[in-house]
Amino acid sequence: MSEANPNRCEGGADRSGTDPVVRVEDLVVEFSTEKGRIRAVDGISFSVMPGEPVGIVGESGCGKTVTALSVLKLIPSPPGRIARGQVFLDGKDVVPLGEREMRRLRGNVASMIFQEPMTALNPVFTIGGQMTEILRIHRRMSRREAREHSIEMLHTVNIESPAKRFTQYPHELSGGMRQRVMIAMALSCDPKLLLADEPSTALDVTVQAQVMEEIRRLQEERRMSMILITHDLGVIAETCRRVIVMYCGKIVEVSDTSGLFAHPRHPYTSGLLASIPKVREKKIERLPTIKGMVPDLADLPKGCRFADRCPKATARCRENEPGLVEVSPGQQVACFYPD
Amino acid sequence: MVEGAAEQPVANVIPAPDTSHYRSESLWTKSIRKFARDPMGIAALVIVSVFFVIACGVWAGWIGQNWSALQADGYTGMSREHWFGTNINGQDIYARTIQGTKTAFEVGLIVAILSTVIGGILGAVAGYFDRTIVDEVIMWLYGCLDAIPFYLFVAAVAFALRDQPYAMHVAMIATFWSSTCRIVRGEVIKIKSLEYVQAAKALGVGSMTIIFRHVIPNTFHILLVQGTIAFVSAIKSEVILTYLGLGVKHGVSWGTMLSESTFEVSAGIFNNFVAASSFLFLLVIAFNLFADALQDALDPKKVTAS
Repeated sequence: MSEANPNRCEGGADRSGTDPVVRVEDLVVEFSTEKGRIRAVDGISFSVMPGEPVGIVGESGCGKTVTALSVLKLIPSPPGRIARGQVFLDGKDVVPLGEREMRRLRGNVASMIFQEPMTALNPVFTIGGQMTEILRIHRRMSRREAREHSIEMLHTVNIESPAKRFTQYPHELSGGMRQRVMIAMALSCDPKLLLADEPSTALDVTVQAQVMEEIRRLQEERRMSMILITHDLGVIAETCRRVIVMYCGKIVEVSDTSGLFAHPRHPYTSGLLASIPKVREKKIERLPTIKGMVPDLADLPKGCRFADRCPKATARCRENEPGLVEVSPGQQVACFYPD
Repeated sequence: MVEGAAEQPVANVIPAPDTSHYRSESLWTKSIRKFARDPMGIAALVIVSVFFVIACGVWAGWIGQNWSALQADGYTGMSREHWFGTNINGQDIYARTIQGTKTAFEVGLIVAILSTVIGGILGAVAGYFDRTIVDEVIMWLYGCLDAIPFYLFVAAVAFALRDQPYAMHVAMIATFWSSTCRIVRGEVIKIKSLEYVQAAKALGVGSMTIIFRHVIPNTFHILLVQGTIAFVSAIKSEVILTYLGLGVKHGVSWGTMLSESTFEVSAGIFNNFVAASSFLFLLVIAFNLFADALQDALDPKKVTAS
């Protein structure tokens, strides 16, 4: 499908190579709030290779979404700003770039899909009107070309009678269908990177599975890099090759997916895995939880941010903050006492 | 019939529902359908349309043209030639009332359209760039204008622009845009956090395109209602200002007629007074009812039984 398409964007030409599509270096994102300046993301570094699906997991407010938004420089500003660090998107640092240059990258080199499909489409325009807009901006297609390409994209994401859907308004489509339209829109310029921010959370469970299956298939077919943000470890297990676990704006563990599930190194990751209900469990037990509360970002503890909730915390943990170190091939962890 | 039924294949597959009759419906056509079910709204719309047709007739030069011609004697009662009688100068009150309809529509339309457009655009820009210097400047501007009492402001503008026929229009537009601006700004702050605006941004659509294509069309329901409110206020203000001698100078308006009637009512002559005030009353009340019905029809949260 995409290979046969003569109208590929410049962004979509090169899928091989070993340079990362995204490389984040020591990123700090600050928000000014009533309680003062808080760091939603505090000095994280990671990279995503071409064609690689990477998952970011963590609780609400741990900085997952902010990380994804900063890749496209979509942090609402004010109150937010990138205070430090670099974000290389396709080899180019986007932090110093202006709005106009960013616009050329957004939707073209990297696209983003959001959580809430019900409000993700403009209610006063038809599906077609919204899909063709992007193609006309990035590819300067004619109305007819854009229409044909959009219908083809709707077909690609398995929407039935795409030509009819093209002329319909968002309120005439179901949630799952709208999310498919969003995916079609995000992929219509054949980006190198897809940022998916909890794309299935707001959908019914059965529809969730279908939509995730769709995303997985398209990611593989197009050999596209992906950053999948979720708090659903099951989705990560099925979709991603590598997982980044975030806690309170910091990366606490980076691991291969198989390694993470087989042998979690950070106590927080172990806690997350333990709190997944197990269907085959014979004994009916109370589901394990991680004790305590996520600390307030405006009032963080001195040492390790997880120390207050950690079963293994010692005086050292409360005094010093552990850095991210490689404990085994493909597994990095920020803990003094990794499992 | 029996043979026909026998020829049917055994239906072990549920046939696809016939959707050929199904036509895609926008939120606008839905609103129109909703409006059509409201008898009050329809009645109000009919009355407003009649007024509008009268105004168009005057513009086209078909009716009410001899409003300034001096005929017969002053203060003749109602007759076949002069339906509503004549005024002190022997001018036909019917023609003057009709002409006044045109004046009212002229002021109403100009003020409603321009103040809504200005208020809508500034409100959308302020809301979209909220908490930036652009927003501060726009808020400061409407804060300042709102702080001045309306009639004082109009008197000042009318004085500053004396001899200009559009002094009154300028004054009204300069004050009426602010309420639209404030409401649109609030709505846009809400809209801009919605995901379709975020999504448009994430897909590389520019700020101005987002404002004009994605944000403002989603405030049209507010603009439409604000426009009708501005229209009614403009007509009322025009009459009041003309009555005070600050409004229409070259022409006739219901305000001129009411101003003339102040001397006549005490003398027991009601022609000017009744003609002007009943036309004004009917138009204003019909327009208000129309605006109400419009608001209900455009509000997607208000569901009426179909």
